[in-house]
Amino acid sequence: MLSQLSQVIASGLAIGSCYALIALAMVIIYKTSEVLNFAQGEMAMVSTFIAYTLLTTYDIPFIIAFPLTLLFSLILGMIIEFLFLRPAKDPTVLGLIVITLGAEMILYGIAGWKWGAETKSFPSPILDTKVYNIKGIVISQLNIWVFVVCIGLMLLLFLFFRFSTLGVAMKATAQNHMAARLMGIRAKRILSFTWGLSALIGAVAGVLIAPITLLDPNMMVDPLLKAFASAVLGGMTSMPGAAVGGGILGVVENLFGWYVSTEFKSVVAFAIIVIVLCVRPSGLLARHYVKKV
Amino acid sequence: MVSNYSKSVFVVFSFIISLSFFFSHSIASEVGISDDTIKIGQWSPQTGPAALWGSVARGTDCYFKMLNAEGGIHGRKLKQYLRDDAYQPPRTVGAVKELVGRVGVFGFVGGVGTANGMAVKRFLHTRKIPWVGPLSGSSKWANPPTRYLFALYPNYIDEAHLLTSYAYMTLDKKRIAFFYQNDDYGKEGLMGAKKTLKRYNAKLVHEVSVEPLDTDISSQILKLKMSKPDVVILWLLPKHAAMTMGAAAKMSFKPVWMTTSTLSDVPLMHKITKGLWDGVIFDSFGELPDSKHPLMIKYKKARDEFAPRENWGVFFTAGFLFAEPMIEAFRRAGRDLTRENFVDAMETIKNWDKGTGHKITFGPNQRQGQRAVFLAKCQKGNGVRLSDWLEVK
Repeated sequence: MLSQLSQVIASGLAIGSCYALIALAMVIIYKTSEVLNFAQGEMAMVSTFIAYTLLTTYDIPFIIAFPLTLLFSLILGMIIEFLFLRPAKDPTVLGLIVITLGAEMILYGIAGWKWGAETKSFPSPILDTKVYNIKGIVISQLNIWVFVVCIGLMLLLFLFFRFSTLGVAMKATAQNHMAARLMGIRAKRILSFTWGLSALIGAVAGVLIAPITLLDPNMMVDPLLKAFASAVLGGMTSMPGAAVGGGILGVVENLFGWYVSTEFKSVVAFAIIVIVLCVRPSGLLARHYVKKV
Repeated sequence: MVSNYSKSVFVVFSFIISLSFFFSHSIASEVGISDDTIKIGQWSPQTGPAALWGSVARGTDCYFKMLNAEGGIHGRKLKQYLRDDAYQPPRTVGAVKELVGRVGVFGFVGGVGTANGMAVKRFLHTRKIPWVGPLSGSSKWANPPTRYLFALYPNYIDEAHLLTSYAYMTLDKKRIAFFYQNDDYGKEGLMGAKKTLKRYNAKLVHEVSVEPLDTDISSQILKLKMSKPDVVILWLLPKHAAMTMGAAAKMSFKPVWMTTSTLSDVPLMHKITKGLWDGVIFDSFGELPDSKHPLMIKYKKARDEFAPRENWGVFFTAGFLFAEPMIEAFRRAGRDLTRENFVDAMETIKNWDKGTGHKITFGPNQRQGQRAVFLAKCQKGNGVRLSDWLEVK
C-alpha cells in the first residue's frame, strides 16, 4: 500500500514538473507586464513542432535541433510581442490579454494548416519508456529529466533576476515602467526580451512533454490550464511559487484520482484556483503588493 | 366583350402555368436533383481535435469522382458539398442549415461524430431529408427507427459485446477491465461490455475513465494494473490509447489489449506508439486497407487517380464504404428519383453484400443496416484478420 502511495506521489511530481515549467513561463510575463499570456501553450506547441520538423524532416541530431528550437522560440516570443502587443494603443491589461487570445488562435490555426491535426510521435532521445525501479517506484528517464530541468531552470532564472544586469532591468521595468525608462532602461526592448525568454521556457516544456502527450495542435490545451492553476496557487508573481504550485497540483490531482475518482480528477485544478482565490488571493509564496497612491 | 377577352387570356395563362408546373414536376421534381447532377452534403472535421477522421469525407469525394468517371448514376453525376465543422456541433448545425437552405442538397452521407450528428438529427428528420451512414456507432441513430435516417456503423454496444465475448469465451480470459472516455462514446462501449459479462454471470474487474482533454493518465493506469486484469478493453481517442500504451509499458503492465473500430487505423497507431500497438486486438466494420477484395483494389486505383496525396487508411476507405448503400439505392430508384422513392429503394436493400462491408439489410422498421464486425490483430504495423464476420444475434 505504501509503495502504491509513493508511486502515486512520484507520478504526480512527474506531471507536476511539466505544469511547473509552463507556469514558470507564464509567471515571467505576468511579473513584467501583468498580462496573462493565453498564447503560452500555443507558442510552446509551435516550437515543439519546429523541433519535430528539424528532427524528422531534416534529420538534424537532437543536440543541435534543440538549441535551434530554443532560438526559434526566443525569436517567436519577441515577434509576437512586437507584432501584436506593442502596436496596441493605450492598452489596458484586459485588452492585452484579449490580444494574447487572438495570438493563440492564429498560432493554433497556423499549426493546423502547416502540420495537420494528425497525432504524431515525438522522436525524443529521452525516453518515457526507459524506466528505473527504485524500491518499487517506477520512474522514467523522462520524468527525472523534467524534474531536474524544472529545478535547474528555476535556479537559473532566480540567479538571472538577482544578479545579471538584464535581469535586474527586467525587474525594475516591472515595478515601475516610467522610472525604469528615466533610468535609461529601454523598457520596450526589455518587454520583448521577456516574451522571448518566456517562449523559450515554454519550448523547453513542450519538447519535454511531447513524448508523453504526443504531438498535435491540441497538446497544450490541458497542460496550459493546469499550469495556470499552478501559477495561481503559487502566487502568479513568484517563480518558486509556480514550481511548488505545479508540484502540489500534480500530486493532489493524482491522489484525488487514486483515492476518490478519476472522473473528477481534472476538476481538482479548477477547484484549487477557486479555493486559492477565495482564501489566499496572493497565492502561497508571493507577497501581496498593495500599490500606494 | 372585353371581359370575355380577359377571361380567355386568363384561361390560357393558367393553362400555360399549370402546364409548366406539370413539366417542371416531371423533369426536376426534387430538391438537389437536376437533369445531370445529384447534390449530396457531408460534414466532417477537417480541422480541430478530430481532424484525423476528416479523411472519411475525402474518401467519399474520391468515390463519387470514380463513379462519375464511369458515367454517373442513371445519367446523373454526383456532386459532394463538403463542410468543415471542426468537430463542433454548433458549426455542424450551421453547415447543415446552409447546405439545406442555400445549396439545396438532396441528402447527406457520412457525417462524423456522435454529438455532431445528434445536433442535426431532428432538423433533418423534420425536413424529410435522407441521411445515410453517420460515422459514429451510437445506438441512437437507428433506435428508435426514423424514416429518413439510415445507420450503417455497427453500434458500440454490439462492438463491445463481440469483443467481450471473444475475450471471455474464445481467449478464455476471465479478468476483464475497461478503460473508457467519459462521454456517450465511451459509456456505450462500457454498457455493452457490462451487459455481456452479466450474461456469463461475471463482472468487470475494474472500470476507469478519462476526460477527452486529459493529459495525465498515470493514476488510471496504476489503478488498472492493481486490478490485475488479463484483458483491458480501451474505448478512447487515438491519442489516449497511444498514451495508455506508453504508460503501461513504463509500469511493465502487459495485459491483452482490445479496442474498438474507431482505433482500427493500425499503421497510424503503430507509428505513434512506436511499435507498442503490436498485439492489440480490434474490430473492424469494413475490409482492411490492404485487403485483396476486388472492390478495395478498384478503390485504391481510384485513390491513385483522383486523390493521390491521400493516405490509404481505414478512415479514407470508410468514406467509400459508408456511401455504398446510398449509391445502390440511387441505382434501384431509377431515373425518376425523389426523396420518398429513394427511401423506399433503401428499404429494398436486403442481405446486400456487394460492398466492402458485411451484409446490409434495411427495411420499413429496420434502420441499422450492418451489425457485423470481424476481429483483427495488429502484427508489425499491419492488421491481420482473426475471425470471420461476427454478427450480434
